[in-house]
Amino acid sequence: MTARVDRNLYPELQRFGATDISSCFNCGVCSAICPLSVDGASFPRRMSRYAQLGLREKLLASPELWSCYGCSECTDSCPTQADPASFMAAARRYAVASYDRTHLAYLLATSRLFAGVFVIALVGLLAAFMYSVHKPVDGSTLAFFDFVPSDVVHNLGIVAMAVMGVAALVGVFEMVRRVLRGPKDAAAKTTLGKVAGAAVYAVGTESLAQTRFRQDCADETASGEAGETRPWYSQRWFIHFATMWGFLGLLGATMADYGLELLGIKAVGTAVPIWYPVRLLGTLAGALLIYGTTVLIVRRLRKSDRASRHSTTSDWTFLSMLWVAGLTGFVLELGLYLPQAPAWGYPMFLLHVGVAMALVLLVPFGKFAHVLYRPIALFAIRLRG
Amino acid sequence: MSEHRQDPALAPASAGRGGAEDAPRAQLDGREQAPGGASERMGRPSESRDPKARRIGVYVCHCGGNISDYVDVQAVVDAVKDEQSVVVAKHMMFACSDAGQQEMEDDIAASDLDGLVVASCSPKLHVVTFRGVAKRSGMNPYEYNQTNIREQCSWTHTDDRDGATHKAIALVRGVIGRTRLSEALEPLVVETTQKALIIGGGVTGLRAAIGMADIGLGVFLVEREPELGGWVGKFGPMFPHERDGRELIAQMVADVKKRPSIKVFTGAEVVTKGGSFGNYQIGIRVSNDPPETISVEVGSIVVATGFDAYQPAEGELGAGLPGVLSLPEFKELVDGSKGPLRYNGRPVRSLAYIYCVGSRQPDGNEWCSRYCCSATAHISIKVSERDPKVRQYHLYRDIRTYGNFELLYTEARKQGAVYVKFPDDAPPVVAMDKGGGLAVTVRDLLSGDEELEIPVDLVVQVTGMVARKNDAMVGMLKLPLGRDGFFNEIHPKLRPVETMVDGVLIAGACQGPKSSAESVASGLAAVTQSASVLKKGVAELDPLVATVDIDRCTWCGKCENACPYGAIEKLSLNGREVASISEAGCKGCGGCVPMCPENAIDLRGYTDLQITAMIDGLLEEAIA
Repeated sequence: MTARVDRNLYPELQRFGATDISSCFNCGVCSAICPLSVDGASFPRRMSRYAQLGLREKLLASPELWSCYGCSECTDSCPTQADPASFMAAARRYAVASYDRTHLAYLLATSRLFAGVFVIALVGLLAAFMYSVHKPVDGSTLAFFDFVPSDVVHNLGIVAMAVMGVAALVGVFEMVRRVLRGPKDAAAKTTLGKVAGAAVYAVGTESLAQTRFRQDCADETASGEAGETRPWYSQRWFIHFATMWGFLGLLGATMADYGLELLGIKAVGTAVPIWYPVRLLGTLAGALLIYGTTVLIVRRLRKSDRASRHSTTSDWTFLSMLWVAGLTGFVLELGLYLPQAPAWGYPMFLLHVGVAMALVLLVPFGKFAHVLYRPIALFAIRLRG
Repeated sequence: MSEHRQDPALAPASAGRGGAEDAPRAQLDGREQAPGGASERMGRPSESRDPKARRIGVYVCHCGGNISDYVDVQAVVDAVKDEQSVVVAKHMMFACSDAGQQEMEDDIAASDLDGLVVASCSPKLHVVTFRGVAKRSGMNPYEYNQTNIREQCSWTHTDDRDGATHKAIALVRGVIGRTRLSEALEPLVVETTQKALIIGGGVTGLRAAIGMADIGLGVFLVEREPELGGWVGKFGPMFPHERDGRELIAQMVADVKKRPSIKVFTGAEVVTKGGSFGNYQIGIRVSNDPPETISVEVGSIVVATGFDAYQPAEGELGAGLPGVLSLPEFKELVDGSKGPLRYNGRPVRSLAYIYCVGSRQPDGNEWCSRYCCSATAHISIKVSERDPKVRQYHLYRDIRTYGNFELLYTEARKQGAVYVKFPDDAPPVVAMDKGGGLAVTVRDLLSGDEELEIPVDLVVQVTGMVARKNDAMVGMLKLPLGRDGFFNEIHPKLRPVETMVDGVLIAGACQGPKSSAESVASGLAAVTQSASVLKKGVAELDPLVATVDIDRCTWCGKCENACPYGAIEKLSLNGREVASISEAGCKGCGGCVPMCPENAIDLRGYTDLQITAMIDGLLEEAIA
C-alpha cells in the first residue's frame, strides 16, 4: 500500500516533546544497542523513520513503541545526538493522544497550563462533591466514613471506574484495530495455545514480573563507572516494580476492604489492628508506592541518571498524583492510630480520595495509559513471533 | 593462501631506494648532457661483443614469499647457474631492498659483470630501480633486463608449484638469451620549446595558464566558446567555499590578462598538430571574420576540455514532464533568482531530488560522478536558507559526500531535508498529479521497504558528468580514451596527468568526473609536469625505439600505416625513398617491426636477434 508522506506529523510530535530527529540518518546504532530490540526488530530506528516521513498510521500501528523501558542507552550511543529514547517516549504520548477520541489526552500532554488547571480542578471538584454531602463528626478519633458516607465514596469510585473503563475500551479498540493491520506472518497459525502463551508472557512474565526490565535492560551505574552496578533496591526495574506493586497492592486492599463489607465480614471504616491482613497489605503497598514514586521524583528533579534527564508534563502529572495519593493515604492511616483526631485529618481525606479518583479517571488519558497499551503491545509482538 | 599475494598493490612497490613504477622518461637519468654531444652518441650501437663471452649476473627474487611460496627459487638458480655466460646466480629475499641492491652492486664490481638479470615482479614496478643498480656500478643501464616470475608464475599458478617453477626457469633462460645480445644505449635527448598549449578555458585551463605563466613558461590558451569560464563561469555560490563561480572566473580572467606571457584565443579550436615531443607545431583556427589559422610552437599540450552534463532520455525518470529539471538547470534557476523559489511563476513549496540519474547504471554509464551528492546537498541548503518551509526530499541510492562534504549532508538534514534510500533496481516513478503537480512514488528501504507517494512541485534529476565528444581533437592528439569516453592517464596514482603521448597532458574533468577543486589541482599538476620537462630546455627519452636499416628499406609505406603515433615518414635519401623514424615521436611499441616485408626495422632492446634468443631459451625448458 502506498503511503503519502506527511510532513505535518513531525511538528505534531514535537508538541509531545519529540527531540530533533532530523539529524537521524538511520544508521541503526540505536536498534543495535537496544537490549530489547532483538530478533529482527528494528526499533527505535524505524519508529523515528516513520516520523521523518510522516507515516502516521505506521507509527500508531507499531506495538514496538511499547517495548521500550526508556533506559536511554540508545540516546547515549547515538552518533548524531538525535535522542531516540526521548523520541520513543514522545511517540508513546502521541499514541496515547491518538487512541483517545476526546482530545483530552492531547491537551494534557501538550499544555502544561491545561494539565495543571485541569487536574487541580478535577481533584477539587471531586473533593467538593464529597464535602457537600459530609456529615458532622465528633472530634474523638478519625472516622472517615462517618464524615463522608461509605456508599457515596464507593459509588463515586464505581462511577469513576466505569467512565475510565469506557474510555479505556475505546482507546484499546483504537490501538488494536491499527495493530491488526500491521505485518502478519501468513504461514504461522494462531492457535489457542499460542494466544494463551503470549498473554501469560505479556501480562505475567514481562509486566507483572518485570522480567525483561530486570534482566535485559542494563541499568546505569550510580557513578557511571563500568562494572559497578547499583544495589537491587536502587535499580530502575525495582523502582518501577515497587511503584507498580505498591499501586496494585493498594488497589487490592481497597477492593478487599469493600469486598469484606459486601460479604458482611467487616464494615468499611471499622477500626482494625495494624496486623489485620487487609490493613497490613495496604500499609506495605503504601510504603512501596511512596518509596518508588519518591525515588522517581527525586531522580527526575536531579536528572541524576540518563533515563530521567527529560521530564514532561505527562511525567510530572502522573508521578505527582501517584505520590500525593500514596503519601496522603499513608499519613491518614497513621492518623487513625492517633489518640486524638488531628485537624488536618478530614481535609486530607478529601484530598486523598479526590486524587485517587482523578488518577483512576485519567488512566487512558496520560502516562498511566501504559498499563493498558503495554501489555497489549507485548502480547501482539509475542504473538507475531 | 594469504590474501595479500593476490593484490599487487600490497606487495612492496620498492623495499629500498630506487624508482617506483615506470617513472617518467625524463627522470630516467639525471645526467646533464649537451644536446649536440649527446645526439652523436645517441643510439650508437656498442662495439659488438661475443655473446658467449658475456658476464651476466642472475638474481631470482623471493618477493618475501610472494614468489618463493609457489616457485622453487633454488631450483631456478640451479637450472641457470651453469648456463653459458652466467657468472653469478643467486636468489634473494627482496631484490629491491637496499641490501639486495647493494649485493648486486658488489657482485658487479667483484665479478666484472657486463649484463644483469633480475627475475622478480613486473618490469613496470622495478625496471627503473635495477637500471639504477647497473648505473651506479658503472654498467650501462640498458644492459639490465627483467623478467616477471611473480604475476606470470607464482600468482597465476598457485595450484601447480612444479609448473610455476618450470615456467620461471623458461622465462629466466629467455631473458638470459636476450641479455647476451644486449647493447649499451644512451637516452635520447631533445631540445624543448618553453611554451605550452592549453586547450580549454574553464576553471582548470585558466588556473593552469596562470600557473604556467608564473613558472616562466609561455602559454597559448585556446577556448572554443566566445567567453572564457566554462561551467564554473555560469555558477553562483559553489561548495564548499561559498565563492560565487562567476566572480571566481572573473578574478581568474583578470589574472590571466595581467600576464603578458599568456596568449588567449577564444572562439578558437586546435586544428592541426605536427612535430614531436618537446616541439609540437599547432594550428589554431580562430573564427574571426574571415577565420584565420594561426601556427604556434609548443613543448607540451594540456588538454582541459571539461565535461558534458548527462542528458536524460525523454521519459527517463520523468524527463520531459513540466517541472522536471536536471541539476544544472536547477542550479541555474536557483543562482539566477532571489527570494523564495519560484518556477514558471509558481512558488516552489516542495521538491524531490532523484540521485544517480544516468549514473551507476549497469547498462549505461557505470561510473559515479562524485560531485553530485555534495552539490545537491549544497543547493538543498541554499534553497532552505531562502525559504525554510520548502520541503525537500532526496531520493538516493547511496550518498557519497566524501571528506568534509559530509558536513553539507549533515547540514542539509538539519535544515529538514529528508533522505529516502530506494533500491538499486527500483528507481522512483515520476508522474503528473491530478492537481497539475508532480507525484513521485518511491520505495523507502529505511522504513522497511514502504512504498511512499511524495507530492512535489518540482523534481530535480541529479545528473552526473559524461565525457564531452570531440572526435577530431582526440584523433589529432592521439588521446587515449577509456571505455567511459574520458581520457586516460598513464597511471592514476603515479602519473596522473600524463598520457601515453609524451608531452600531452590531461587535466580536469575531461579525465573523469572531478569537482572544480580537484580539477584545478590536476591542472596545476599538469603545470608542474610540463615545467619538469620544459624548463631544462632539454628532455631525455628512452632509447628503446625503432630503427630503419636504410640499405634494406624499399619504402612500401606499410610501417607508416602501422604507426599509431605518426612517427614514421618518407625520406628522400641519395635519390632513394626510405622510411625515417622520428626518435622523439616513436614510443617503441614495435607495431611497425612485423609489418616490414624487408625486415628492415628493428627495435632497440628488442631486436629480432634478441627475441629469437628469448624464444630459444623458453623452448629449451619446454623441450627439457
